[in-house]
Amino acid sequence: MDIQKRIEELEEALKKELENVKTMNDLQNVKSKFLGKKAEISGFMKHMKDLSNDEKPAFGKKVNEGKQRLSALIEEKREALRKAAIEEKLRQETIDVTLDAPDFTPGGVHILNRIVEEIEDIFVGMGYKIKEGPEIETDEMNFEKLNLPKDHPARDMQDSLYITEELLLRTHTSPVQVRTMLEYGGKKPVKIICPGKVYRRDDDDATHSHQFLQIEGLVVDKNTTMSDLKGTLNTIAKAMFGEEREIRLRPSYFPFTEPSVEVDVTCANCAGEGCNICKQTGYIEILGAGMVNDFVLKESGYDPKIYQGFAFGLGIERVAMLKYGIEDIRHFYTNDLRFNTQFK
Amino acid sequence: MKVSLSWLQEYVSLEGITPDELASTLTLRSQEIEAVYPLIEADKLLIGEVLSVKKNEKADKLSVCDVNTGKKTLQIVCGAPNVKKGQKVVVALPGAKLAGGLKIEKTTLRGVESNGMICSLTELGLDYKYHHEDGIHVLADTAPVGEDAIEYLAFNDTVVELDLTPNRSDLLSMHGVAYDVAAIYDRNLKLPTPEIITANQDNAFTIETQTDKCPSYYARILDNVTIAPSPRWLQARLIAAGIRPINNVVDITNYVMLETGQPLHAFDLDKLSANRVLVREAKQGETFITLDEDKRTLEEGDVLITDGEKPIALGGVMGGLDTEVGDATVSLLLESATFDPRQIRRTSSRLDLRSESSIRFERGVDPEKTPYALDRACAFLATYAKASIRNGVRYFDHHKTEKRIIPIALEKVNNVLGAQYTKEDIKSVFDRLNFSYEEKEGRFLVEAPSRRVDIETYQDLIEEIGRLKDFNELPDTLPSTVSIGSLSAYQRFKRDIRKTLSALGLSEAITYCLREKERINDLTRENESPVELSKPLSKAHHALVLSPLTGLFDVVAYNKARKQESVHVFEIGKRYRKNEEPERLGIAMHGPFHPRHWQKTPPTNFFTLKGVVEALQKGLRLPRLSYEKATLENYHPHQSAVVKAGDTTVGHIGKVHPEYAEGYDVEDVYLAELAIDKLFEMRQKAPTYRAVSKYPGISRDLALVVDEDLAAGELQKTVERTLEDKLKESRVFDVYTGKNIEEGKKSLAIRLVFEAREETLQSKEIDCEIDRVIKALKETHNARLR
Repeated sequence: MDIQKRIEELEEALKKELENVKTMNDLQNVKSKFLGKKAEISGFMKHMKDLSNDEKPAFGKKVNEGKQRLSALIEEKREALRKAAIEEKLRQETIDVTLDAPDFTPGGVHILNRIVEEIEDIFVGMGYKIKEGPEIETDEMNFEKLNLPKDHPARDMQDSLYITEELLLRTHTSPVQVRTMLEYGGKKPVKIICPGKVYRRDDDDATHSHQFLQIEGLVVDKNTTMSDLKGTLNTIAKAMFGEEREIRLRPSYFPFTEPSVEVDVTCANCAGEGCNICKQTGYIEILGAGMVNDFVLKESGYDPKIYQGFAFGLGIERVAMLKYGIEDIRHFYTNDLRFNTQFK
Repeated sequence: MKVSLSWLQEYVSLEGITPDELASTLTLRSQEIEAVYPLIEADKLLIGEVLSVKKNEKADKLSVCDVNTGKKTLQIVCGAPNVKKGQKVVVALPGAKLAGGLKIEKTTLRGVESNGMICSLTELGLDYKYHHEDGIHVLADTAPVGEDAIEYLAFNDTVVELDLTPNRSDLLSMHGVAYDVAAIYDRNLKLPTPEIITANQDNAFTIETQTDKCPSYYARILDNVTIAPSPRWLQARLIAAGIRPINNVVDITNYVMLETGQPLHAFDLDKLSANRVLVREAKQGETFITLDEDKRTLEEGDVLITDGEKPIALGGVMGGLDTEVGDATVSLLLESATFDPRQIRRTSSRLDLRSESSIRFERGVDPEKTPYALDRACAFLATYAKASIRNGVRYFDHHKTEKRIIPIALEKVNNVLGAQYTKEDIKSVFDRLNFSYEEKEGRFLVEAPSRRVDIETYQDLIEEIGRLKDFNELPDTLPSTVSIGSLSAYQRFKRDIRKTLSALGLSEAITYCLREKERINDLTRENESPVELSKPLSKAHHALVLSPLTGLFDVVAYNKARKQESVHVFEIGKRYRKNEEPERLGIAMHGPFHPRHWQKTPPTNFFTLKGVVEALQKGLRLPRLSYEKATLENYHPHQSAVVKAGDTTVGHIGKVHPEYAEGYDVEDVYLAELAIDKLFEMRQKAPTYRAVSKYPGISRDLALVVDEDLAAGELQKTVERTLEDKLKESRVFDVYTGKNIEEGKKSLAIRLVFEAREETLQSKEIDCEIDRVIKALKETHNARLR
């Protein structure tokens, strides 16, 4: 028998059978048939005894190589079957990648508080501390210590909501200035901002709200100047509204500051050219400011002969309205989620 | 203050300055300008004479008039019933413009040609309140036909409206505005000096006061007054200032008030009971009828001008009806006085009676203008009412004539402004302002003029310097104060709460703190009387909230009504009390996190919200929280709990009672409130590092049958107490009632996780611990293994 030829025939036969193998089970059967104990190739070794010692090694080698080739064919098939099975499994896991994901949208901080935080961060960066105070204030703190005695005409500028004769909802965050100065005991420099809710006797409409948010700023030291105020406000205006913005100061009046100014920023819409939003002036008013009135320093325990300072007050809603073009102040307090969730 | 520019020109030249330039300069250097506008919008109007009036045959309400307009006679159709032959009228020819931009064109009305329009004052653009005329405006017979009607009426004027701050009472007068404009533009100021000729007639009048709330009172008597309309220029200027012309006497007092800032009042002398003025304070409850025909009830302190017998004016606020000047008036008592600003403010605000007079008195008038204004008005009355002035002014004047001298050093000016002005700069400002000063020992001693009641301190002078030099010229610098900026730990904590809740998908709301009184306690844990406004803004804004939940619940209802399926919101608010305002976090949840998703997602319920609270607890190092079932008003009786940290109650959580929610058209609303101030105080210490255990943990599951009403938390407490620090975590992973579990019982499946730090846990050890736990649970809760 030409062993070599027979092995080649077996190889061909195996290849043919493997073509029809579909499952691992089939494969196992084929493997038994061709390589099992009863397989033809396993019987070849019996012929060894009939061979001469010289022929034995070559014969053994041929049989073993034949076995290995058959085995390789089977393993090759096994690998192909395994791959096909995995691919089939993955195919069954096919998804429509365009289907909607569940809604994991983060919520968000209210736009007014976002702006407060933004402003706080700018001032913290410039070395300010943040101070808060009560919203139910005494007439003394809200008015009298701020140079607004009872019957003062300027009290008309801030129509107030009283609780008792001596107690009211603060009309501005300025009493926090006084409280802080008193706390510091007239000794050390003050550099603070005070955010918080304030209240006025106003009917709510598109531009008025009986409740709104303010940020007050106060710096008191031995040589704090009006130019420092101007530089500070310029910094904040550019940080909030953009580098290209300019501010302008106009004389005004607040009993707690002297000199007092109102501060306008160039209109975003027309870049100062004049448009409907800025009523053709090119500017939009954003805050009131001034040098702290000596009366207030004195009332707060600071010696005006040694100390001087500046203060400013900014309405947060106004900033938000200008920044985002929001037309109605009531939107901030309606909390329609379709509004609140726009600001991310 | 509405400033007529033609009037202002009498005192200071405006040559080369357009009204718009003036407005922007005043805005930067003086006061904000509210508006700049022509007194009337109409132009190109002529004076015409109505030569004939015929009825239009087709429309009897229309008259067909022939009108002589100087160069030619035109046919004009007129709809006004008061048109008559011979009248001098205002004619708008084709090409003319009327109020509201109306252009006049040649037209045909009901088949009749009309070559223009005969105008009413309203059509010229004058508000009805200034003239009370319904038909066309009829001019005097002497009006020159063919001339410009607007010029004739003195309406060719521009008004600049100042938005005054309350300190600048001087700008409530034309003189004051002129001072400021002259200072800003460095121009000459020329103010008139009144010259009066008095008749040599006896004047037995006396003036007395019993109150110090009227520091000065000047009066003159005038006779032979002819009541008539004022001259056209005077009427036009009053209208420009926003005051309706009435008659020459009233108009002149108003004119001089506008000019000088000193309010005046004219009484009909014959209606006084005696030749006497006695100023006194009102008695409590005394009544008085003011010019506006209102009966006023007075209080002690209100100042009354009387004739010794009866009150004739509410001093500084309004005259009396009884002594009003009318067509029959012959003799006048003319008053020029000053009053205590605070008292005027008290009286006028209490009576809600703000007059041109009270506005000026409460801000302070120039006491030096008091006699000046009296004489100025008398001079006008002599000219325009043919009045003769009795000899002698009657007065008292208790004003202290002390000069207000304010010292200020150049160094101080520069130190406050951060500027580098020179002495010459400062002097120039004071000169332009007409402030007199002297230099002494390196300082300026500046005399504050009586017209500027607002100039009291060196800071006021710095403001004058700053504004006239222009604040915008100052350099931009930053404070030299070196300091460390920071948020406090509590402020950072609040930011962390916001950040954490936002990341979990909740949106922050800001709601009103003033709410309906009766709803304040609806959703609070503990009832308390709210702080109320003494005069509520409205029923809806009456009392201060005790919890942010009041607003948040409404936010849910509002959004639900607008078809928002999921409303997950929070707010850091306050429990407002008179003496403290502790901060409270409110959370409201309604609807699923992933609404209408094609994969099944868990519903939002009590445990969703509890999970959010726990997330805060874990994320912000809050103390461990426990939940005790509780009954809270307006909450679900079986789905509510108080939240505790140790023994301290720190909040509550629960489902809003379905009946309460239904009242607001919502359902399934879950609310939680946490006392974040307390939680902040109880916060766990900053973490310290602990090496991760090298040994794997072991977990065991126990299925226990217990009484149905036993809280799982109680069971877990017992487990924890028994195992102490051997236990890493216990978690209920299944709750079951029904088949195979007897009535009144439930099955709880708990997973216990053990962690060994020193060595690998042996199964035997764990078995031993589990036996202890089972024993303890049996003893404490009568629990048995399922």
